[in-house]
Amino acid sequence: MTLIDALLQGILMGLLFALVALGLNIIFGVMNIVNFAHGEFLMIGMYTTYWTSLLLDIDPLLTLPVAALVGVLLGIASYYSLIRYLLRGPAIAQLFGTFGLMLFLRYLAQFLFGIDYRIIQKGLLIGKSLSIGPFIFDWTKLAAGILSLFAFAFVYYFLNKTKTGKALQATSINKEAASYMGIKTDKMNAIAWAIGGGTVGIAGGLLANFYYVYPTIGILFVMIAFACVALGGFGSIKGVFFAGLLVGILEMVFPVFGSLVNSDFLGPHFKFTIVYLTYFIIVVFRPQGLFGWKN
Amino acid sequence: MKYRKTVLFSIVVFLSLLLIVPPLFAQEKEIRIGVLYPLSGAAATIGRDLQRAAELTAEIINNKTPGVDIPMAQWAGIPNLGGAKIKLIFADHRGEPDRGADLAKRLILDDKVVGLMGAYHSSVTKTVSAVAERYGIPMINDSSTSPELTKRGLKWFWRTTPHDDIFNKDLFELLKGLTEGKVKGVKAIPKDQLKNVAYACENTEWGSSVAKSIEGFAKEYGFNITKKILYNANSPDLTSEAKALVSVKPDVMLFASYLSDSLLMIRTLKGMKASTNFFWGQDAGFEMADFVKTLGTDTNGVLTRTVFIAKIAKVKKVAGQVNALYKEKYGDDLTGATARSVVGVQTWAYVLNKAGSTDPKAIQKACNEINIPANDLVMPWAGVKFDATGQNILGRGLIGQYQKTKEGMIDLEIIYPFELATANMIYPFPGWK
Repeated sequence: MTLIDALLQGILMGLLFALVALGLNIIFGVMNIVNFAHGEFLMIGMYTTYWTSLLLDIDPLLTLPVAALVGVLLGIASYYSLIRYLLRGPAIAQLFGTFGLMLFLRYLAQFLFGIDYRIIQKGLLIGKSLSIGPFIFDWTKLAAGILSLFAFAFVYYFLNKTKTGKALQATSINKEAASYMGIKTDKMNAIAWAIGGGTVGIAGGLLANFYYVYPTIGILFVMIAFACVALGGFGSIKGVFFAGLLVGILEMVFPVFGSLVNSDFLGPHFKFTIVYLTYFIIVVFRPQGLFGWKN
Repeated sequence: MKYRKTVLFSIVVFLSLLLIVPPLFAQEKEIRIGVLYPLSGAAATIGRDLQRAAELTAEIINNKTPGVDIPMAQWAGIPNLGGAKIKLIFADHRGEPDRGADLAKRLILDDKVVGLMGAYHSSVTKTVSAVAERYGIPMINDSSTSPELTKRGLKWFWRTTPHDDIFNKDLFELLKGLTEGKVKGVKAIPKDQLKNVAYACENTEWGSSVAKSIEGFAKEYGFNITKKILYNANSPDLTSEAKALVSVKPDVMLFASYLSDSLLMIRTLKGMKASTNFFWGQDAGFEMADFVKTLGTDTNGVLTRTVFIAKIAKVKKVAGQVNALYKEKYGDDLTGATARSVVGVQTWAYVLNKAGSTDPKAIQKACNEINIPANDLVMPWAGVKFDATGQNILGRGLIGQYQKTKEGMIDLEIIYPFELATANMIYPFPGWK
């Protein structure tokens, strides 16, 4: 029963990890750029929800559209003000550029909001739990998992069923061929950054319901997002979804399993060792990741 | 013409002399002390608070401060060093031991500090003190509590704060006191209500040593450890740790956590409707101002070990005076961590005054012989006096409990030592309804 409980909790966290990683993967898939500032986008999404709910005195869940909008605008602004210019330079310039953006956003947040930890105290679901038989779910995590699933489904639908989504995928597969077909690469890049920013903005908004926020919070989640992207396959939406789930389940189930068999090796301090070990094993046998299709 | 040339030449010589000579007589003498704290990253909040407390203490020493009944508040500099001012040079180690060691070297070689202070994280203090030892520069540690730090036979390292073995003994004395009816407002509790103990400690130098110490004392006092958890304080999720804790239905939950993980742990346990009889945190995250500011009334009933609680002012006047200055300037009460920073800088001032010199050997001798009286301290300690290992043998700990007031605010009340208790203890832990 304990393992099933851990599995269910792992799925909820995994869905959120997958949503955090989704934007990173879309940007990488379309542009081959690793956005080091992705964690800071998440942090801004969290601050957006925190401040909007506090200043407007509304439920944090109702702030999700605002967090998404701020994420979209941040993604577009980052692309047009920085990334577009970095594309003209070597790959290393792109790496340093997004790294610089990460530092800029982090210290801007520190300057604007200070270094204090902040937690949302009031909300429809905050502090409430749902008991189903022997299982107890924190409502905020349950909502985060379910809404992450909806956000994922929406992006999946957008990419696979709309003309713009298909154009985005075409750019991702072959930029030059897509541009010969009349697809504007520059516009597709901006859309990728907008989706990347928007999805991670929503993830930040969901996370802020049960997590504290401070300026360097992004680093905690972006490492996992990188692992999810590599594990699922660079550029694969399906891949990042299952990789997120896998990471969530592994980090939850192994310590509980370790606790049941009284093993120190499977203790909580090793939980991310297990996650990264799994990642290494998979990339050794499948360097393109679980669902990757890119060389 | 010749006369004009002579005058011009004299003016040039005079101006040149002005450029060279002033540092020799006009510059105020200052003594540089390198202070290493985590000023950015996850522990930036505590680093900021520690820095504020250290700066305030330096101000009290460097300027005559009316209303503070400690001799150093009237010194206006170090008396035996011609009124030289203390200048604290802060360095941000971000909680990284290797960075701490690099910064210590820089402070010693480039900034020419006469000594070091810090570094909060025991793991960083370990590397910084190793650098101080190599260069023969004194280091006074104000705030790191791993017992191992003073067991290394160092000659240039002194620690003012009591360490975790002392604090953990206090914890088990409190548990024992509960079973004996010694705790204010609580009748004797049958021991089987407190027998099963579970701990979750972060897995760096500090948390690991707390865990080891808890196990030792649990055995000595006859309590069973039913769950031992060491976890990564930088983990983005503590659900599995909290699940593992709750699964054994412990009577007593013990934690050694920094701020971010203490916040996350409590929020996670609350989401699981976790319950226990006794909920205790080993200082650090649990006693920071941001702990209460962030969690609010969710802290009601949580116990924390500490060395300073603002209510100590009821029995110790100077504690209230310095706390009032700090609160006026920064809006918060002093905490155990920040009050230790006050004592750290104060000890440096007393040592320098006793040494009457900035020569490392003289400072080393002064450290070994210093005896700061209890009345001069903001802490409820018997004083500051170091043993051969460099550990202050006159320090003591407190255990406080966060209690919700009628106005819905949270106060930290003294529960242990029993004779200093300022309120009835809330028992059992009320949980999060």
